[in-house]
This record gives sequence, C-alpha cells and structure tokens, in this order.
Amino acid sequence: MRFLLLSLLTWSVALAGLSKHIASYDIQATLNHKTHTITGNETLTWVNDSPDTVSTLQFHLYMNAFRNTKSTFFTESGGQLRGDQFKGDEWGWIEVKKMRLASGADVTKAIRFIHPDDNNAEDRTVIEVALPQAVKPGETIQVAIDFETKMPMVFARTGFRKDFYLVGQWFPKIGVWETAGFRYSTQGAWNCHQFHANSEFFANFGRYDVQLTVPSEMVIGATGEQTKRVENVSNKTTTYGFHQEDVTDFAWTVQPNYIRVERMFEAAKETTAKEIAYEAKLGGVPEEDVRLSDVKMIVLMQPEHAEQIERTFHATRAALKHFGLWYGRYPYKTITVVDPPYGAGGAGGMEYPTFITAGTSWKLPPGSRGLEEVTVHEFGHQFWMQLVATNEFEESPMDEGLNTYSTTLIMDKVYGGIGQLPITLFGMNVWDWLHLPGISDLSLDRAAFLMSPADDDLLRKSWQYYDSQSYGVNSYMRMGVTLDTLERIVGHDTMARLMRTYHTRYRFRHPTARDFAKVASEVSGQNLDWFFNQFFFGNRLLDYRIGEVTSEQRRTPMGRFEKGGTFQITTRKDARKADDANDENKAFRKEYLGTVKIQRHGDAVAPVEIVIRFKDGSVEKRQWDGEYRWVKYTFVRSSEIESVDIDPAKKYRLDVSFANNSWVSKYQVEVSTHWSANVLFWLQNLMLILTSVA
Amino acid sequence: MTITQAISNAARRANGRKRMIVLYWFTQMMVAALAALPLLGIAVPMLAHSGWAPELLKQFDVTFITEAMQARPGVGGAAFSAYPLIIFLTMTSGVFLAGGAVKLMVQDATVYSPREFWSGCGEYFWRFFRLMLYSLLLYAIANALAGSVKKVADKMWGDGLESAPMVMAGWVSNALLILLCGLVSTAMDYAKVRLVRDESRKSLRACLGSIWLVLRNPRVMGAWLILAVFWVLFTMLYQPVANNIPAVKMPLILVLALWQQLYILARVWLRFVSWGTAAELDPELRPAPLPPEEFVPVLSTGATEDYAI
Ligand SMILES: [Zn+2]
Repeated sequence: MRFLLLSLLTWSVALAGLSKHIASYDIQATLNHKTHTITGNETLTWVNDSPDTVSTLQFHLYMNAFRNTKSTFFTESGGQLRGDQFKGDEWGWIEVKKMRLASGADVTKAIRFIHPDDNNAEDRTVIEVALPQAVKPGETIQVAIDFETKMPMVFARTGFRKDFYLVGQWFPKIGVWETAGFRYSTQGAWNCHQFHANSEFFANFGRYDVQLTVPSEMVIGATGEQTKRVENVSNKTTTYGFHQEDVTDFAWTVQPNYIRVERMFEAAKETTAKEIAYEAKLGGVPEEDVRLSDVKMIVLMQPEHAEQIERTFHATRAALKHFGLWYGRYPYKTITVVDPPYGAGGAGGMEYPTFITAGTSWKLPPGSRGLEEVTVHEFGHQFWMQLVATNEFEESPMDEGLNTYSTTLIMDKVYGGIGQLPITLFGMNVWDWLHLPGISDLSLDRAAFLMSPADDDLLRKSWQYYDSQSYGVNSYMRMGVTLDTLERIVGHDTMARLMRTYHTRYRFRHPTARDFAKVASEVSGQNLDWFFNQFFFGNRLLDYRIGEVTSEQRRTPMGRFEKGGTFQITTRKDARKADDANDENKAFRKEYLGTVKIQRHGDAVAPVEIVIRFKDGSVEKRQWDGEYRWVKYTFVRSSEIESVDIDPAKKYRLDVSFANNSWVSKYQVEVSTHWSANVLFWLQNLMLILTSVA
Repeated sequence: MTITQAISNAARRANGRKRMIVLYWFTQMMVAALAALPLLGIAVPMLAHSGWAPELLKQFDVTFITEAMQARPGVGGAAFSAYPLIIFLTMTSGVFLAGGAVKLMVQDATVYSPREFWSGCGEYFWRFFRLMLYSLLLYAIANALAGSVKKVADKMWGDGLESAPMVMAGWVSNALLILLCGLVSTAMDYAKVRLVRDESRKSLRACLGSIWLVLRNPRVMGAWLILAVFWVLFTMLYQPVANNIPAVKMPLILVLALWQQLYILARVWLRFVSWGTAAELDPELRPAPLPPEEFVPVLSTGATEDYAI
C-alpha cells in the first residue's frame, strides 16, 4: 500500500522536477548517541531509464571503508587522508539487515559483496543483488532496506567526535546504471565503484525525503529544506524531516553547541541591473536567465569561531552571486554551511547537495582567507559535482579542477587572492609585519601544478594516479592551470560563454571530459583538438625557451671580390682600416646581425608567438608553429636586440618555466642586487641566532 | 653590581672595541656570503637576463621556487642538500669568532689588536666547540620540556571540541621554549667567560657550572631579558623602515642594503654586550679562588731591595 502510493507520487515528481529522478530515497533513521549508531530503513525508488533489461542491482556501502584495515580504502590510504589520521578503535561499518522488494520478495539472502575495481575480497563497500525478476526498460522498482550504520571516529569526511556528528555516505546507495552511449559506456552495466582512498562519488539525481530522530539537545543541519520537527518527550529525542528534490546525495550533521544563524540571500539586493545586463550579453542569453533567486543561507558555527560568522556569510554570498551569474542560478532554496569543531578537521572542506562543510581556525586573521577560500570552493561543488554531476571516481579533475578554476576567479576577484598564510606569533600577524606580498590564488595553483606537471595523465581514475600527491595536483591545480591556459587561448569572453554553455547544457546530467572538449570547440569556433589531446587527455610537458640571442656588428668584408668584371682583394688590414674609419665617422650607419634561437624543451607542441625588440625601439613579431625542436630567426638591423619574449601575452600558464621565456640584453643588476642583499641579510640573521645560542 | 650597571659597563666595553665589532661583522658577512652562493647560484643565472626577474624574485615567491626546482632538479637538490653542511659551517665559524670576541671582552684593558683577536679565535676554538656540542644537548632538553607542556595540554583538552586551550597551550609552550633557550644561551655566555677567565680547558665543567650559576642567580636572566627587549626594539625600528624603502632603483636598493647591515651591526653589538655582561658579572658571582702564594724572586739590584719580602 505504502509502496503503491509512493510509486504514484514519484512518477508525478519525476515529471515535475528539474532533473530525471532516477534514484529517490525515503529514509527514517535514528541516531543512538551512546553507541554512535544509526538505525534506519530506506525505501529506494529506482527507475530503469535505459533500453536495457536490468537483472541485478548494485549498491554502495561506503561506510564499510572504515570497517577494518583490510578494506580497499585503508590499504590505499594507510589510514591517512587529507592530512588527517585514523586513530583509536572507533571503526565504522554498515550492515544491511534486510532487503525486500515491493513485491514482498525478501532478497536479503541474494546479497553478495563484489569488488569490481581491485579484487580485494576483504572490501565490503559494494554489494550486488540478483533480482527474482529483471527490471524492464522504463520500469520502476522499489526496494526497502533496513540498515544499521556505525559511525567511525571522524577522519575522512564522515564520522563523529564526542557529540559532533557529520553523517555522510551513511546509507545503502544504489550505483548508476550506464547504458551504451551514456558517458563512456559501450554496453549496459552498473557503474558502482568501491570506496577508494583518493576518490569521491557518483550518483543519479532523485528526491530525498529523510526523517531523522536525534537527541533533543542536538542542533541539526542537513541537505534540503526542513519540513518537520516533532519532540518525542518520552525519550528526549526530536524527529526532523528534510526534503529535497533534484539532488544526488544526502548528508547531515548534529552537535549540541552549534551556533545556528540564518540569513537570506536576496537576489535583488545582491546584484545590480548592470551586472545582469553584462552577464546576459556576455553569455548571449536573455536577462531573465541570468537573474538569481533568493536562497536561505544557514551557518552552523562553532562557538569559538563566532566572530567569523559574518565572514562565512560574506563568502557564501559572494559564491552564490558569482557562480549564479556566471553559470546559472542556484536552483535550491537553502544552502547550509557547517563549521566542524577542533579535532574533526577530517569532516571539513567537503561538499554535499545544498550542504557543505568548511573549516577555520581560532582567531584566523582577517588577512588570511583560508575560511573564504574553503567556503567558496565547497559551495562551487554545488555547480561542479552536484548540478553538473560528473563521475568523481573516474574524472576527478572535472569537478575539483573546474571548481579550482572557478574558485580562483572568485577569490581573486572578490578578495584579491588567498592573501596571507596564517603565520602568527603569539597572535601577531607575522605575514603582515614582514610586509610579505599577498598570494594570488592563481600563482598558488601554478606553484602546486609545477610540483607534478606531467607525471600522470591529467584525467585518470582517481585511484590510478601515481600517488595521492599526483591525484591532488592533477585533480585540482593542474586542471585549474589548464583551464586558465584555455581561457587565455580563447579569450576571456569566449571562455565565459564556454563555461556557461557547458554548465547549462549539462545541468542535472552526467557529462564527461569529452563533452567539455566538444563544447569548447563548438563555442570557440576553433579546432582545439591540439590543446585537448595534449593537455586534457595526455601528459605533455610545455616548455619553450630562449636558446641564444646575439647581436653582432657587421664588419667590412675581406677576401677576393668581383667588381665590374675585375677582381679585387680586400686585405685584413684594409678592412680593419675601413672599420676604424667607420667607427670614427658619426654619420656612418652601423649594421647588426641579430640572431634569435628558440627551443622547444618540452614534448608538447603549441603555436608560439615571439616578440623581438630592438634598441632603436623597433619591434618584430614572429609566429612559430612550435613543432620542430628549435627555430632560428636572423635580422639585419641598425640596432642591437634589446629583448626577446616567447608568448608575451603569457597565455601558456602551463609552460613550466616562465623565467626562460624571456631574455633582456641588460643584466638585471637591480633585481639581482636586491635579492642578493636580502638573502645575505637573512643568512646573517640566522648566523647571529646560531652564534647567540651556541 | 646591578644588572643595569653590568649592562652599561658591558656596553662601554663593546664601544671601546669598535674595530673588533667591525671585524667580527665583516668576517661573519663573508661567511654568510659564502653560504648564500648556492641560492644565488640558482637564482641569478636563471633570472639575470630574464624579463620575468622582477616578478619572480619577490620575497619568497612560491612560483619561482617551484619553477626553479622543476627547471633544475639536480641543482636545486644539490643546493638544498648543501644546507645542513652550510649550517654546520656557519655554526662553527660562529664558535671560532666567539673565541676572539670573548677573549677581548673579558680583558679589562680596552686594548684591541687583530692579532689578539685572531689568536683568541684559535686558542679557544676547541673548548668552545665542545661547549657548543654540550649546549645542543641542553637545547634538546629545553625543547622536550617545552614540548611536554603541549603534551599535557593535549592530555587535558586534546579530546575537546575547542582549539583555543590548545592554541594557548602552544603559546605557553613557545614562551617556555624561548625562556629556556635564553637560559641555556645565557649560561653558555658565562661558560665561555669562565673558560677564558680561568684559562681552563674543562668545557663540560664550565657548561654545567654555568647552568648552575644561572639557576642560582636568576637575576642574570634579567640581563638576558633586557637585551632581548633591545633586540625587539631594534627589530621594530628596522622592519617598518625596511618595509617602506621602495627598493626598485639602484640607489634605494643600496640604501636598503645599508639599513640591513646597520641592523646586523646592531645585533652584533648586542651580542658583544651580552658577552660583556657575563664578563662583568662573572667575577662577582663566582669570585676567583685566591691564587696560590706566589714565590717572588728576590732581585739583587739595590733599587728593588726595599720591596723584597
Ligand atoms: Zn573540492
């Protein structure tokens, strides 16, 4: 009865929603704070949206990653992730107690663990269930699952610490059926990867109706809009209801001493008519499409970070505004920003639909914008991961990298970069005091990219990178720098249109990197295969450099010359004499033979622009296809070469050395002296410290 | 003698040996220049003729550092692996120079000659070097003690959901570390003075004795504190001015370099005052044992007969 009703409801919702509701969940769950256990039952409504007949179902049991040290997650991570370490004995797991179909069939016994990625028989993060009756194309199946989840000590995104809980990846979650032609699929199959150390998630869109019963003293935050709150006086618990459509996941948090603050993002106040008009024109879309909608912002802050609540709201508003204006309005009614407590840093900096976790430190100086950066970044995942739901298992740069690119644009635009590193001495801001320059996000991305510029393909399955550093550099910064380079190649306006087109076309869908490349070529009207093949789908290293620059004054030629039928010999002595006379003669126009050699030092080939400046102010430009290992240009001019620049517009942020892209004839004595003086000074100080201690 | 008297006497001693301060500063700068070579050897050839130099050679430019490491992995690696050796050399050179400096600061007469200075450097080198090795152990102990504050704090509040107590415990631990390092450093000043004054070769005894001396006379730490305040004051004077010198063109770069070296000179002076203070206070805190009765030869010339005992 309940099944039938829900089924009807789902169909109507699926038609009315913004996305295709493939996987929808109705969940009731109760948190037992004493045992750190969540007991729940869910009803999954799954639509076979493919032309295939599906005879099994596959589910993620993510929480089993924390079951023991033999899980794939643990063997890959060694119990360490994102700077955090698993300590103690609070393991985490999930057990499916019972699984029934709407037909009444109990399929609990048909559950078996599978290990599609690595054959690790000890890994229990994916199950497969053989169905008594296959699901035909277009059919809907409902599965009722009773489950129990034991929360681990928080270390990798999810878990608890004392009375703080961040509950993510906590319920049995169905995989994604990929029919032939969907993403990279050549035949219908489940895409249901094991939980890996360096991997996030992938899921279909759907509707989530979740009822959570928690101790009454807890302050709660969750994906979606709160629909209900009922006090259960008898056992001092409260039941909350949350509802959200068109999302791919559901996460929640509780802690008694959160400071909960609500603010409205009022679209009309946050944006000006001029901004709307500008973005509409830039994107080639009606102004109506650019206009934003109101959003309720909810911040759950630790009491000791109370003074940073305003900063959190400021960053959230900046993100809502710019992501909205650039790519399309944020379509949900709420956004919840969670500040995890001390010791639960592993739960920070994570994204879930309409629900993100940031993180900060006590008395973070205003000049250090780590809080803003993480807030903007995690919010950005609402666009790159949630709305455009790429496969994070298989193409992590498509969410992290696109988001790094977007975050950098916002941070540099709104805050002028990440600012200072939070180096304080007894609370004093050392960065400020030493007058160190602020750090732009862009240069920070490039610095990180240079740590591993071409050691891996940019795009790989996230557990197949060389190591976790390579996963990080490629997923975030290298993709960021790659897109930054693309922007400089196609131009700012085209890039803006490209990103908007890609976003709107694939909103509520599951595109791949190939789709992005197609949109890029389409929107720019250029064949960008050379770029994408080398830098997106390859591992080429880009480095053009100045090989040699010389300017030689031309001297009087010597030897035997024919002149009017007779032969004349110019001797060395004559030539020298003539040269001396010329040198004395102020009216004599000197001539120089200038030679410029440019080398291709990397294995990437890209068209390069070369600008040669002469001391008399004249300028020569050359366009080189960059194919052969080197190219040579010669000039006969009345003046010497003053400077040579490869890629003067600095388009190729992927070039691993900027220093060798430029040559100036004048020795940079100022810079060298300044730097040498500084280095000397710091070393002298160091020596004095050593002398006074020894 | 009060602490302030001791310091002002020490300052007078230092001021009376200006040429030594300059010599010390210059020698030390030369060693620093040597140590700077690997760094300059990477940066300057890469950038001396590059238009990117102004942008890439800002202070601590992260992009340039990673770029340099990427461009020259071998050279960068070699330079960085050279640094432990360089630190050892600079430390040793500091020990060497201290020999001459302490010797001349202990002498009451304000005589100074480079010969005296350098002979002091050689004379005391091994004693001071051994002293340095012992002091490393003491610093390790200081570090462990300060670290234990953090450990205790972690036991008490580490399980909590608030970082503030831990951050403050970190401050306490840092303050304790600085204080303990100051204590060891002060004791090493006294140990050096003792080795010179007693013409002793017993470094370990001097080291332990001086620690005992400082612990018994905590007021000598007052001198350390005053000199530390001086150092902070000099730094507060130096840094804002340095921040505001627009060192882009050559003359102003030289002004900045000059200002930097003035600051270094001031720090050298402070170091001398610190040794001088120990030299002033040491005789008072540790009265020399009465010298054994000396045999005074009776001279046969009549003029001195009156003085014969
Ligand atoms: Zn991210």
